[in-house]
Amino acid sequence: MNTHPMKLVTIVCEAYALEPVKKLLREVGAQGWTHFTVEGAGAGGERTGEMKEFANVQIEIVLQPTAAQALLARVEGELFPRYGMIAFESDVRVMRSGKF
Amino acid sequence: MEILTAIQANLLSPAVLFFVLGLVAALTKSDLKFPEPLYVGLTIYLLIAIGFKGGVAISEAGLAKVWFPALAAMVLGALIPLWTYPLLRFGGKLPGVDAAAIAAHYGSVSAVTFIAATNYLKAIDQPYESYATAFLAVMEAPAILVGVVLGKMALKKTGESSNASLRTAVHEALFGRSIFLLVGALVVGFLCGEPGMKKVEPFFVTPFQGVLALFLLEMGVVAGRRVGDLRKVGPFLLGFGILVPIVNGALGVLLGKLTGLELGGATLLGVLASSASYIAAPAAIRMSLPEANPTLYLTSSLAITFPFNITLGIPIYLEVARVLYR
Repeated sequence: MNTHPMKLVTIVCEAYALEPVKKLLREVGAQGWTHFTVEGAGAGGERTGEMKEFANVQIEIVLQPTAAQALLARVEGELFPRYGMIAFESDVRVMRSGKF
Repeated sequence: MEILTAIQANLLSPAVLFFVLGLVAALTKSDLKFPEPLYVGLTIYLLIAIGFKGGVAISEAGLAKVWFPALAAMVLGALIPLWTYPLLRFGGKLPGVDAAAIAAHYGSVSAVTFIAATNYLKAIDQPYESYATAFLAVMEAPAILVGVVLGKMALKKTGESSNASLRTAVHEALFGRSIFLLVGALVVGFLCGEPGMKKVEPFFVTPFQGVLALFLLEMGVVAGRRVGDLRKVGPFLLGFGILVPIVNGALGVLLGKLTGLELGGATLLGVLASSASYIAAPAAIRMSLPEANPTLYLTSSLAITFPFNITLGIPIYLEVARVLYR
């Protein structure tokens, strides 16, 4: 079984930031992503998720390391000033590297 | 004191009592919580039910009767941000973009406040024009657009660049879930007319009161959870969130009278003018004016104005109408 090094970028943001994040993902060439509704707390206080205004989403994207760098740089420059969100990357190993 | 009787009649309705119960649940930190899909489901039901009923009413009354007061309602909605903006900007010393965001919310309308008002009028046997739902539909978008333009102008002045486009706001204001469902159901109701109403009545009319009570219980919880934010927004917005709705409400009632509505319809126009949006406007503003602080506009519309209108505001606007129609 062959596995290949990739980056997993995780973004946790307010629900309203989902569309802008997805737009960035398309622009940096991400081939696919997964997002789900989450609850929690942070600088914006309790995120209880009972309506969209108070809901968070978590977005996970597996990318080539260069694309991950490009994505994180643009998230920092374009989205951090506007939306409540955090972003981080981690090393993962994937099967079928051509999918990313 | 007629007004006290009117307020009492409103406070003792199931819908308002469930709202208060929700507030109590939040304040006592009860673990009561509705899942988000239920909240969305109840919203969809209420908007379709009220839209459909309004559409049927328009088909009964005829468009000729509806267009003039509806146009006036639309203009009023667009004008409200123009006087609330300077009040917030210079009276409240708020940053321009926050003032614009809040002004957009107060010019736009709250469908649930409107629904609660029709419920109240029905409960006290006060007749009203059922086609008033059309005013609800046309008042939602204009103020949001005016508010976004004001916000963009304020940002340009301070040199903060913003690439979130006005187009996003237009799209959100016209096709966001609440306005889309409401206008859609209005058109469907208009096309179906009374025969169509007979078919869906058991689903959209009979259980309506119960669904509204359930929804307001949830809204009580949501509003109650924001009470802590009242300290963050300060006394100016607290006063603003109560006094501005009263002034706008009176303006709405007056406009209703001038455009030939009956007492009930004028009361509803007053309720609409006084109410602040918390579904359509927050979504549109967050997308197109992300620089504005959501705590300010959400707390004032959801935790101050909405509870005020649901409990005291609605009977007050009815009393204003009664005085004007004497």
